[in-house]
Amino acid sequence: MKYKAKKIIKNVRVIILLTFLVFAIFAINPRPGVDGVAIRSILTDTVAAGSGLQQPSPTTTPVNRERILNINNRPVNSIGEYYDYINTLRINQSLQIKTNKGLYRLKTKELIEIIELNETETKIVEETIIENETINDTLVEVSKKINRTIEVPKTKEIPTGLVEDIGIRVFKAPTTNIRKGLDLQGGTRVLLQPELKLEPQDLQTLIDTMSERLNVYGLSDLIIRDATDLTGNQYILVEIAGANEEEIRDLLAKQGKFEAKIANQTVFVGGKDIVFVCRSADCAGIDPNIGCTQSSGQHACRFRFSIAITLAAAQKQADATSKLSIVGDGGYLSEPLELHLDDTKVDELKIGKDLQGSATTDIQISGSGVGRSQQEAAYNALNNMKRLQTVLITGSLPVKLGIAKIDAVSPLLGEEFLRNAILVGMFSLLAVGISVFVRYRKLAVAVPVVLISISEVILLLGVAARIGWNIDLAAIAGIIIAVGTGVDHQIVITDETLKGERFISNWKERIKRAFFIIMASYFTIVVAMIPLMFAGAGLLKGFAITTIIGASIGVFISRPVFARVIEILLKS
Amino acid sequence: MEETESKEKFSGIKNFYEKQYKKLLIIPFALLLIAIILIGMKVAATGDFINRDVSLKGGVTITIPIKEPIDILNLEEALFSKFPGNDIATKILSQFGNQVGIIVEADIDKEQASQLIEEIDNALDAEIKTEEYSIEIVGSSLGASFFKDLSIALLIAFFFMAFVVFFYFRTFVPSIAVILAALSDIIITVAIVNLMDMKLSAAGIAAFLMLIGYSVDTDILLSTRVLKRKEGTEMERIYGAFKTGMTMTITTIIAVTVALLITQSEIIKQIMTILLIGLAVDLINTWIQNVGILRLYLEKKRKKLQQ
Repeated sequence: MKYKAKKIIKNVRVIILLTFLVFAIFAINPRPGVDGVAIRSILTDTVAAGSGLQQPSPTTTPVNRERILNINNRPVNSIGEYYDYINTLRINQSLQIKTNKGLYRLKTKELIEIIELNETETKIVEETIIENETINDTLVEVSKKINRTIEVPKTKEIPTGLVEDIGIRVFKAPTTNIRKGLDLQGGTRVLLQPELKLEPQDLQTLIDTMSERLNVYGLSDLIIRDATDLTGNQYILVEIAGANEEEIRDLLAKQGKFEAKIANQTVFVGGKDIVFVCRSADCAGIDPNIGCTQSSGQHACRFRFSIAITLAAAQKQADATSKLSIVGDGGYLSEPLELHLDDTKVDELKIGKDLQGSATTDIQISGSGVGRSQQEAAYNALNNMKRLQTVLITGSLPVKLGIAKIDAVSPLLGEEFLRNAILVGMFSLLAVGISVFVRYRKLAVAVPVVLISISEVILLLGVAARIGWNIDLAAIAGIIIAVGTGVDHQIVITDETLKGERFISNWKERIKRAFFIIMASYFTIVVAMIPLMFAGAGLLKGFAITTIIGASIGVFISRPVFARVIEILLKS
Repeated sequence: MEETESKEKFSGIKNFYEKQYKKLLIIPFALLLIAIILIGMKVAATGDFINRDVSLKGGVTITIPIKEPIDILNLEEALFSKFPGNDIATKILSQFGNQVGIIVEADIDKEQASQLIEEIDNALDAEIKTEEYSIEIVGSSLGASFFKDLSIALLIAFFFMAFVVFFYFRTFVPSIAVILAALSDIIITVAIVNLMDMKLSAAGIAAFLMLIGYSVDTDILLSTRVLKRKEGTEMERIYGAFKTGMTMTITTIIAVTVALLITQSEIIKQIMTILLIGLAVDLINTWIQNVGILRLYLEKKRKKLQQ
């Protein structure tokens, strides 16, 4: 027995398997007792963003995510502990946040509500203009940054006595480098379909604009990629961890074609005509002059924010307004400024008579949100404002997109599914071990079958961690089949070697015969999975790849080991 | 006494299996024929060869974790009255027999999703929070194109598999026998799945791909042992393959059953159910159909040699 164990350990194939296992475990990098909570995102314009805390990059491996270890020397080890502590904060309280990467100091602020007064004040904004200039006798276009003074409504700050959100979003610290798919960690996946077929470069523009839009909106933990299917349909797949579908649905599907029109003539559009969009509280928020109204159980709130447009666009507007007449006692022009988003009029603004013909670059944009309660209406109004601002900054997408599929998985359910999947795996493997033992009555067969199966799972997860692909429920199904076929193959090897005793004395020949059958079954499973890699917008790609890689690992690394171990153990 | 009796009985079956393999071939072909008729009737009645769930025809699926067991029939009735004319189904999510959540599937438009949530709220008399439930919304055109796409993938996978089998055995009849067994597995399993009124999701179609892989395994084992080995008689080789093949299939069936009992995931549950049915069907198609065709082929070959 001792001699056999020695022989197994010294075998080259066993050594290769063990080496790969070590690599896999390094790639998975398990840290069971990891402390702290991981940072999902840092919101812009918050005290956290000002303290030097970095927005995490989505390409960081999970265990290398920055983790908050303690706040003011109080250890934080769960999301619950984090929010419990954050909720006790007072105004102007100093905070020392210790992460695994450094120490950050920040001070809480009071939440200030801003009310607009009926006066204006001047504000300086930076603008990029393009000028024709003669350099070395040739006329060239030069872009210059100039400071421009714009007028914005004067505001008054009213303290609320509440603490402003410090702006850190956290999640449970990852204990391994295995990236969990959306259905196991919670989040939203949206599959979008362009209305027209796009050329590769347009597709790239589309993806860039969309990811900029989501970043401007404050979402960073995301994946955007294009996908196709067998019939040639194009899709855009967006996956955002920890976001819920309501907030991103409109943001993604809206083409974001913003046009301001006077008397049906476009005067400026979103993106290129806009140099500045105010997003700070002093010039953006619920409109203090109008506020919220209620009619027949429906609440509505109006928002407003100021923008600055280019001089060229301002001139266009001046030309358009100069043709209009003055109507009514209020002193407004005969045509309003209409705001269109994706060819739908979203709002119209009356133009004061003193603005006629003047090339004003400062414009106030407004809109509204409705809801069942005033709170809900205000929330919706502010969300609409945020989306409109985002669209104005990033400009429009090259094509309209339709939402083809939305999946939003709650983080609670995701965690439950993962726990359950691990349980399923363990019990199935145990069942396999028991039935193999019952069949052969030999621990020398049952124990290697179970150990080899476990090592195949570890190798597969190691590859997943190394190349950074997500393990989702479909991939777990792939692992199950890879291991399942693995067990089948080990049974073939065992039977060929046991049965071979009666007919052939040559061990090599017996193993060769087993592998003839195994290779045929391996090739059929691989070719059966290939079409799935390209079908259905790639949603089952994870399943196909996991199965193929799992089967390959089995056939080329672990099954030869099993054959040799069985040979050593059963040879008398 | 009893032992010899059961042995006699067993040897009777064995005798019948060995001698009457041509008559036995009626069983798999009759099953195949019935399955084709059932599927044909289904296509005539509904235009589809399977029941598609919302992921393949468009609609909304909501999964809500629950703490206390609820009366699912009441919920279903309440939703029926609010969405007349829509196909609504509710399911219980359980682990070790305990209710842990509910699933509501409805073939409604994506615009009606929030209305559905509101109605569930009302029916459960509780407000479900956004971060607690999961929702899957599929547009109807995407559902249809997904279904088409995955069906094409299944077809291509099948042809690839057939190509590998031909390449491996390079003889016509034995290769066709393996491919026919896989095809019969799929067709009969589809018919059984339809009889169970199961609604297939995208993952369900993937399960049929898995079935191709699993069902071919035992057929390849059988053909290799019978055609490429010389030791023992033909029948001895068939029994040898049978022993190995049964160990493979039974081990897989046990593992699949255990997984089916524990899993909470609808995806995994559907995959496992289809595999379980498929593996059971494969026992008939490998050990009666494929064995029968192989023996007929060898018999003809022997006769040719004698002449």
